[in-house]
Amino acid sequence: MAVVEINDVRKLYGNVEAIKGVSVDVPAGAFVVLVGPSGCGKSTLLRMIAGLEDISGGTISIGGHVINDVEPKHRDIAMVFQNYALYPHMTVEQNMGFSLRFAKRSKAEIRQRVQEAARILGLSDYLDRYPRQLSGGQRQRVAMGRAIVRQPRVYLFDEPLSNLDAKLRVQMRAELKDLHARLRTTTIYVTHDQIEAMTMADRIVVMRDGVIEQAGAPLDLYDRPANLFVAGFIGSPAMNLLEGENDPASGTVGFGGGASLSHAVAGTPQGPIVYGFRPEHVELVGEGEGPAATVTNVEPTGLDTLLVADMNGHAVAAYLRQRLTVKPGDTVHIRVAPEHVHLFDTATEARIVPD
Amino acid sequence: MTQSTDIDPQDASTPDRYAPRTGPLGLSRRTRARLTDLAIDAFLFAFGLLMILPLVFLVSNAFKTPQEMVAWPPRIIPEDPTLENFRSVLGDTPLLLWIWNSFSFAVLSMIAIVATSAIAGYVLAKFPFRSLHLLFLVILATAIVPFEVYMIPLYFQAQALGILNSIWGLLLGYLVMSFGIFLIRQNVMHAIPDELLEAARIDGAGEMWIFVFIVLPLLRGALGALAVLAFFQAWTSFAWPIIVATTRDAYTIEVGLALFQTGFTVDLGRLSAASAAVLVPSVTLFVILRRNFVQGVASTGMKE
Repeated sequence: MAVVEINDVRKLYGNVEAIKGVSVDVPAGAFVVLVGPSGCGKSTLLRMIAGLEDISGGTISIGGHVINDVEPKHRDIAMVFQNYALYPHMTVEQNMGFSLRFAKRSKAEIRQRVQEAARILGLSDYLDRYPRQLSGGQRQRVAMGRAIVRQPRVYLFDEPLSNLDAKLRVQMRAELKDLHARLRTTTIYVTHDQIEAMTMADRIVVMRDGVIEQAGAPLDLYDRPANLFVAGFIGSPAMNLLEGENDPASGTVGFGGGASLSHAVAGTPQGPIVYGFRPEHVELVGEGEGPAATVTNVEPTGLDTLLVADMNGHAVAAYLRQRLTVKPGDTVHIRVAPEHVHLFDTATEARIVPD
Repeated sequence: MTQSTDIDPQDASTPDRYAPRTGPLGLSRRTRARLTDLAIDAFLFAFGLLMILPLVFLVSNAFKTPQEMVAWPPRIIPEDPTLENFRSVLGDTPLLLWIWNSFSFAVLSMIAIVATSAIAGYVLAKFPFRSLHLLFLVILATAIVPFEVYMIPLYFQAQALGILNSIWGLLLGYLVMSFGIFLIRQNVMHAIPDELLEAARIDGAGEMWIFVFIVLPLLRGALGALAVLAFFQAWTSFAWPIIVATTRDAYTIEVGLALFQTGFTVDLGRLSAASAAVLVPSVTLFVILRRNFVQGVASTGMKE
């Protein structure tokens, strides 16, 4: 377990700045997820922590020591790659014990530690197999086993679940979380999947174009997105973000054609604004209690219904925990609870915080 | 293999739906497929026979008397088999020495080419410096210069080094193969993901260790193929050995075999016997290495 401090780190490829001064503190034993669309610099940052990429500016320290110029093998980290990076010509046991051979451990100790890790991961019966004889999920477990066996100070995961099918991904997500709860080793995890980030992280760092958009606990990001990007990125189905005209006096935002929705944020500017609300905060109400919208799409899952409606040219998604009889073409009336409304500045895209 | 199974035989009883199943000759699709397969088999068999026949006659001629050699029609099994040709070849010429010269030349050349190609190919594939890319282009460019162009300068070099009539002289042009470097570079790029090397670096392996214990085993198939290629390139080389080896004892087998043909005569019996004897090591090597190919090709274990 070790603290990882990333301090104003930059990465230059020629004249292109891929990471533009990023600072993140990862407390000892925390599970931090770096999330963002592809090309946002999250993998580059992880590879810089691992020592696979040079650090162009700033410092990274592990356990209080700056490791900018330390060889990867001396950083005491373990990394799990997206394509597993198992040695095809070595058995599961050899793959898992690989790093300990270089740590000059005795054969007996290597064997014992590999078996212990294999037991945790349910791989005990597969130690003599080769990677090609394993399924995707098993290969992923071997890759994790290889990391566990090292007992490093920090785990680095680079999109480890991306190559698995949806069902297996959910299962491995739970296993990884469980594993972290047991080992309590500092973990930095990179993914482009916000669901993975939400479900696993103690702390999420949302990145875009080489900068941090917001960092915080998953539900904080969900409940108080700092800007339009985070608001749209975190949450599935995504938040509704509608452009309208704000009228601070009445606390409503108009969307043309007489349609307006209210909010509870005080001290907002007059004029254009982005009005955001999550699909689950939409209620269907009777005529006269809210603006009308035409249903364009209905997706019943059995448990709940996702409904998309058109309100004066604005698409509104509503997530309702009930079965509905509405069909496309029907008119519904919607209401959004004002306390669940997020307002964003159209120009700066920043969240408007009530003063 | 000859029948298609995509149609349920029961469905075939509905004639209107499956009426057009017979082709222009009134044959069912299954019969036509079988006939096509048969035709392909027959063609390949005939072609195979054509390829192997000269080899069969070469071996058979080695056991024939001079009279039978020119008899018509030729026989595959000699009527009066004799070992005289072999006795004469082995007695009158240093055939075994020539085979040994060829063999050691081919093996050393093979080792050198496999080693240089593996190292250069790996470095060119995985260490992307601009200068290395330029070097790679230069290496590729050397492949378009025909050997005959630099054969004579190379000869003078060998002479200056004082290594004419020796195995080192033979090896001079056979230590590096630009195609081998190219082959291994492409193979490394295709078969060895960066993550594999990075994982090893994080786990504490040194660069040399990574090359020997990760890269080389994964290139087994390509290196095996290259080894056979390099071996036979040296084994069958003729122009360079005939210039650089001028004494009888320094000949390679190819040069030696050429001695059986003069401007006026071809000593068919002894040439056949010598050639048959020469076949043994090359066939043996191929049989041994062929198994390696299959194993090498079948062992790519990364995520597809």
